[in-house]
Amino acid sequence: MKKIVTNILRGLTLAAVLGTTALADDVLDRGIGSEWSSLDPQVVFDAAAGWIILDGYEGLVTFDPTGKVIPGAAERWEASADGKTYTFHLRDGLKWSNGDPLVAQQFVDGVLRTLNPATASEKGYYFYSVIRVKGAEALAKGETTDPATLGFTAPDDRTVVVEMLTPAPHILAIMGSFQVAPLHPSVTDASVFTDPSKFVGNGAYMISEIVPQSHVLMTANPNYWDAAKVAIQTVKYHVTEDVATELKRYQAGEIDITYDVPLNQIEPLKAEIPAELMIFPSTEVTYYSFNLTKEPFQNIDLRRALSLAIDRVVLEEKIMKGGAIPSFSYAGGFDPDYLGPKIAEAGMTQAEREALAQELYAKAGYGPDNPLKVSVVSTVNEDSTRRAQGIALMWKKVLGVEAVNEAQERKAWLDTFYAGTWDVFADNLTGDFAGAETFLAYMRPSAEPGYNWVKPEYDAAMDLAAEKTDSTSRNAALALAEKILLDDYIFAPLAIQPSRHLVKPNVKGFAASAASYHNSQFISFE
Amino acid sequence: MLRFVLKRTGDGLLTLAALVTLTFFALRLAPGGPFSRNRKISPEVQANIEAAFHLDEPVIQQFGRYLWGLAHLDLGPSTRFRDYSVSDLIASGLPYSLTIGFWAVVVATFVGIGFGLIGALRRNSATDYAVGVIAVTGIAVPIFVIGPLAQVVFALNLNWVPVAGTDGGWRSLVLPILVLSLPNIAYISRLTRSAMIETMRENYVRTARAKGIGPTRTIVHHALTGAMLPVIAYLGPATAAIITGSILIETIFAVPGIGRFFVDAALNRDYPLVMGITLLYGGLLIAFNIATDLLRGWMDPRVRHG
Repeated sequence: MKKIVTNILRGLTLAAVLGTTALADDVLDRGIGSEWSSLDPQVVFDAAAGWIILDGYEGLVTFDPTGKVIPGAAERWEASADGKTYTFHLRDGLKWSNGDPLVAQQFVDGVLRTLNPATASEKGYYFYSVIRVKGAEALAKGETTDPATLGFTAPDDRTVVVEMLTPAPHILAIMGSFQVAPLHPSVTDASVFTDPSKFVGNGAYMISEIVPQSHVLMTANPNYWDAAKVAIQTVKYHVTEDVATELKRYQAGEIDITYDVPLNQIEPLKAEIPAELMIFPSTEVTYYSFNLTKEPFQNIDLRRALSLAIDRVVLEEKIMKGGAIPSFSYAGGFDPDYLGPKIAEAGMTQAEREALAQELYAKAGYGPDNPLKVSVVSTVNEDSTRRAQGIALMWKKVLGVEAVNEAQERKAWLDTFYAGTWDVFADNLTGDFAGAETFLAYMRPSAEPGYNWVKPEYDAAMDLAAEKTDSTSRNAALALAEKILLDDYIFAPLAIQPSRHLVKPNVKGFAASAASYHNSQFISFE
Repeated sequence: MLRFVLKRTGDGLLTLAALVTLTFFALRLAPGGPFSRNRKISPEVQANIEAAFHLDEPVIQQFGRYLWGLAHLDLGPSTRFRDYSVSDLIASGLPYSLTIGFWAVVVATFVGIGFGLIGALRRNSATDYAVGVIAVTGIAVPIFVIGPLAQVVFALNLNWVPVAGTDGGWRSLVLPILVLSLPNIAYISRLTRSAMIETMRENYVRTARAKGIGPTRTIVHHALTGAMLPVIAYLGPATAAIITGSILIETIFAVPGIGRFFVDAALNRDYPLVMGITLLYGGLLIAFNIATDLLRGWMDPRVRHG
């Protein structure tokens, strides 16, 4: 309260609230969209804020500009023959930004804090669901508080051992700092994350200024083990909520790398500054789910007809124009080594698909005299409503379906999904890493994701895949599972969403990365 | 006078109490909660998170807890901005909103009154019409059109000020202040003009003239004081609205004020933050209304002696 009063008094004089930071050329200015939900590495759950965490902390591994796993705090690691145990060896002489020595137990402490119910973190599932670390689930559920029960341990100061219940070759994808940041002993409550003077990290940068809804300023960490290779000394993350303003700030030179690009500006920008516009696939997939608890959608012919009647290429390239990649699969397109299936009709021409759709629609008992009436529940977001309207139009044209778009505010849209009152749900899922398993595991009926899909065969196929220790045979097993999933047409896969950025020509080291890890330490000015 | 202030303050507190109660329960009617997510997390973990913020308690108990906190000047933790308490966020955003709002009110008042005077004194002349057109434009063209337009002209083309953000020091504030003051300049100039025209016909102005007081003194000392009453009546609530943050201005110009917190909080069901800002806004509105009444009483003998 006292703080409010003093700030009000200060606020009436202009100079007091605003620093006099001039626009310096050696500062890397990056847009991050909406404000970070938290700067607490064990709590923060939004991707853009993740960039700040990746700069401020280093996990056991880290990611190069293209998203490839490279050694981080751990210089090497090895897996046991059964693939269930990973041993990470930390570099010698690691330090925190304040000079304190960094020890292996602090990585364990970070995981324990994430799992501790008192932290109220949503990220515990990385350790009991994405990979299944021994004892993680019991700790997260509060069934035990004994840290010794966790299979994430530090036998000595330079070794971290992860013991899992099932093998998980994708473990490295979640050993970065967004998931396993080490915990410094000074972190006793969340208040340390609002005060830059209390910041202690082990990443390439340190947080040196925080202004909510405005920016986070980061400066190079002299105690980082690879500090000599860090080219840019100052990075400023700007909250750029309004995408049109962000574009103007980019044009004025206030932002070097934007968070997004306005959809209606993509065409002109492609013509004017094609070299600065970067559009590449992210790990977000868009699909339309059918409500299996409602009578009409229990008919697979109808679901299949609706899926086939959508011209995915026209939808993305002529209607949406946002750079999304039309897709006939659910989990494919992220990991280049995953050769998963597509829906059976992917090889047909759109005309053939539409003819088949009409046939199936009639077979399901619908026609001009008896059209299907559906409502598509989407968010109020302009992209979502435009996509829904485009699809409704295609359904109308090809099948004569009478579809209406029911646009709901985001939280209401989520509520509607779990209430199960929708016909068709404009769905999307962002994967935890650029691989097939993160998507396929989510769909497991046993995980109760809310689709009411009864398919023991799918769970069995996923269980089988979970036994595989190497990624090649695992991917092959996952592909079999995806076939079961796609064959039931419980949703119509539509597209892989892209990341869109404008990058100034003098910025080097910012590359396409599906996982969207863009550590500032690898970026430089030419 | 003291009785008047006490009575209005008492009424204001009652209004605030009603506002707090209504907002608290209305918020819970909105679908979804602060931790509803796309990706379903296990019920036990969801329950743990909600328990950490006391969202598992019956609503009436949560209300009691909130009131108890209020009594101790504790507005609670934010669920959207997890590192901060509601008081922290208001303390961080309010100075920006206040700075921009304060100067926008100053600009709007002086320019608005100036325009209004010109209009009234040169009634139906070309100047009057010109000022009228500017005023109507200010009211009719929305901020989300003028804002981006001003950015293109003054920041991108002329390069006088930054597009947005706060990196440019005081220069960063020029556009938001100007754009925020525009509609208010318009209202104030229209109010001043019509009030001035009316006042100039009043008996006491004619008396002043008859006594041989010069035109400047007549206008400034006699007519303008009277004509200011409707302007002040408008300025009270308008000031409260302006200084508590304009959502559009803050979004377009990336100003880290509390208007944006309010929207973000509402969309993300951050109950304590919505409550805190509602309370602040309500409190300011009531305070400014009381202040306006006092000022009018002091300026208008009819109110004072009535």
